[in-house]
Amino acid sequence: MFTIGKLATLTSVSNDTLRYYEQEGLVQPAGKSPAGYRLYDKDSARRIHFIKHAQNCGFTLAEIRELLVLRSRDKACCGDVRTRAIEKKLQIENKIRAMKAMSKALDQLIAECANERRPVRECTIIAALERAISMPVQ
Amino acid sequence: MKVEMFVIPGCSECAVARARLRAAAQEVAKNLEWRELNVLDDLDYAVELGVMTLPSIVIDGELVFSSTPTVAQLRDALIERHGARV
Repeated sequence: MFTIGKLATLTSVSNDTLRYYEQEGLVQPAGKSPAGYRLYDKDSARRIHFIKHAQNCGFTLAEIRELLVLRSRDKACCGDVRTRAIEKKLQIENKIRAMKAMSKALDQLIAECANERRPVRECTIIAALERAISMPVQ
Repeated sequence: MKVEMFVIPGCSECAVARARLRAAAQEVAKNLEWRELNVLDDLDYAVELGVMTLPSIVIDGELVFSSTPTVAQLRDALIERHGARV
């Protein structure tokens, strides 16, 4: 059994993060010491590694909670997890698309502002952003 | 009228549901073009249409269902959009 500090070292996350995971129902201590300290087992460490890997793939904590439930459900199959992975990929591709559009919009603004020495009140980027703000919301 | 359903192949239960939806759509719409697209093969197209969850149904280029609808829901959506053409 590990203390919270030992588990934090083993998994390279902070004590606060572990407490937060507990609050969010992602990991539970396996027991308590006679002095009342949280104690964790190897499965806790596996869960923390699972959470970290899933976060690296873009899953939110709420989604990770669902994955952890699926992981422990006898009737769940690989297809259930695969669907979630494909949906996450769709969301990421969607974000990439939106960010590319933002980058392109910035390219246009940067290209329009050719004279860097102009005073800021004549800055075409600020003027363009102000025009965008004053446009009525559709 | 074109209905495109984005799916992940391999799920036998989903295939049964798809067949039921397709039959219902064919009853409602005379000139129906029904396409089932493997989302992994048509990922860019799916993203372009705003598909984020599976299965999703697109009717004439508009994302209408982000999960499996009931037969009645699909029928209503088709009639609502293309009532004049059915």
